[in-house]
Amino acid sequence: MPEVKSIFREVLPKQGQLSMEDVPTMVLCKPKLLPLKSVTLEKLEKMQMEAQEAVKQQELAMKGAVAVDAQ
Amino acid sequence: MEVTMDPLFLALSYFRRRRLQQCSDICTKILQDSPYDQAAWSLKTRALTEMVYIDEIEVDQEGIAEMMLDESSIAQVARPGTSLRLPGTSQGGGPTPAVRPLTQSGRPITGFVRPSTQSGRPGTMEQAIKTPRTASTARPVTSASGRFIRLGTASMLTNPEGPYINLSRLNLAKYSQKPHLSRTLFEYIFHHENDVKNALDLAAQATEHAQFKDWWWKVQLGKCYYRLGLYRESEKQFRSALNHKEVVDTYLYLAKVYQRLDQPITALNLFKQGLDHFPGEVTLLTGIARIHEEMNNISSATEYYKDVLKQDNTHVEAIACIGSNHFYTDQPEIALRFYRRLLQMGVYNCQLYNNLGLCCFYAQQYDMTLSSFERAQALVANDQEQADVWYNIGHVAVGIAELTLAYQCFKLALAFNNDHAEAYNNLAVLELRKGRIEQSKAFLQTAASLAPHMYEPHFNLSILSEKIGDLQSSYTAAQKSEDSFPEHVDTQQLLKQLRQHFAEL
Repeated sequence: MPEVKSIFREVLPKQGQLSMEDVPTMVLCKPKLLPLKSVTLEKLEKMQMEAQEAVKQQELAMKGAVAVDAQ
Repeated sequence: MEVTMDPLFLALSYFRRRRLQQCSDICTKILQDSPYDQAAWSLKTRALTEMVYIDEIEVDQEGIAEMMLDESSIAQVARPGTSLRLPGTSQGGGPTPAVRPLTQSGRPITGFVRPSTQSGRPGTMEQAIKTPRTASTARPVTSASGRFIRLGTASMLTNPEGPYINLSRLNLAKYSQKPHLSRTLFEYIFHHENDVKNALDLAAQATEHAQFKDWWWKVQLGKCYYRLGLYRESEKQFRSALNHKEVVDTYLYLAKVYQRLDQPITALNLFKQGLDHFPGEVTLLTGIARIHEEMNNISSATEYYKDVLKQDNTHVEAIACIGSNHFYTDQPEIALRFYRRLLQMGVYNCQLYNNLGLCCFYAQQYDMTLSSFERAQALVANDQEQADVWYNIGHVAVGIAELTLAYQCFKLALAFNNDHAEAYNNLAVLELRKGRIEQSKAFLQTAASLAPHMYEPHFNLSILSEKIGDLQSSYTAAQKSEDSFPEHVDTQQLLKQLRQHFAEL
């Protein structure tokens, strides 16, 4: 390989002190691994959802019945 | 002529195949014809119980009243390492909040949630009341009025003819004499009706009938006392049951009592006793690991989870916890292997794909990252999960310096969950880069009020205030940051600087 003379020469100071200012920077919150749910918890949540649905359905049915009565 | 099956046999078969509704329907028909058919009655009771049955060992919900007006703890200020209530006393050299996010109670987040870990114990009444009441973290005022009652009333509501068994007209004394009926009846009252007082009556009479020699009834009595908050009584019952017969479940119940009494060391000793009788029992090992984890002793928790995996290499909780621990100790590629294992085992949900996406990104497997997140997005069940997934995608965007995308992701996270404190904080950082100081400050203040346990918003607010010359607010914010994360070096330096400043004035 032919020797290519570079235009840029690296500068490595051998004397003097190197200083770097440590500026506090803002921090981001960390990425969040989502915890897996236990079987019991999933069942509980499912049951609660179903129960809420059932209540809602019944309430709707009640309202419907009242509306029919009013007519 | 068509040959029909004996209806009771058919019902039994349905019950075995867990077609509980059909089983109960057939039993109802049998009972209409012959109301005194004990077999059908008992079977229907069991079917109805199974429909709403949840493992009592896992269920543990503390209401505000139980937490704040708790008089069963021995020491108000416990020594470090002896209490579950001092999350700050980490001795295991676990990851600091600088790398591992915290839950509201100030514990590092775990890889697995159970009903009892859903939200930790807040330190003060003020914090308990201020805890945001979203759908997922709503805490009942007392646990007796919590989810149990809601489930109980709902199961009655769905039945148009009213409850199947009218408890107030039941002659408990009569049933307690009949061992073959009393047990199913007890489970029905306890699980389906959630009527702990009647269940306790029945259990007390039945154990008397069995001349206090039946361990099963003693365990049931203990369960009732536990639900009623009489922990010392329930401890007595469980101990006495263990004298009759060594059963793993009894050990688990007893350990649960000790955990509620805030005696983790006693619970640990009990688990070890249990392990002497049942060597290598997975549930006992998991119990030990959970206590270590709750006491912030992550490294020994991981050791025990590894023991669990030696016994049962498909244990989801152990794999997830070890995986998350590797991720937060800067080994995402190993975490990736654990999560991939879960995927191979057939776990298929939003959380897993989200975790896979994060692990892939930090393990530099960029090809899989976005497709994992896409799957996670497709599998979300509610808005909270959606928000969390967007939040994590935002991190990926920050990582590849796509700040516009990151900004949009965090905004989306907030659109799905308006209480997402982490997203507020990150958005504030991005806003400041754009030079919008007021906006950034507002976001940080929101984040700080939503999640006072996180140090990031306080610290950021402190830096921001210091930059714009508001040294007093900077100092107060830095102090708050120090409270939630005392070892944070940058906070310390900032405080030192500010103190110097004030001294010069």
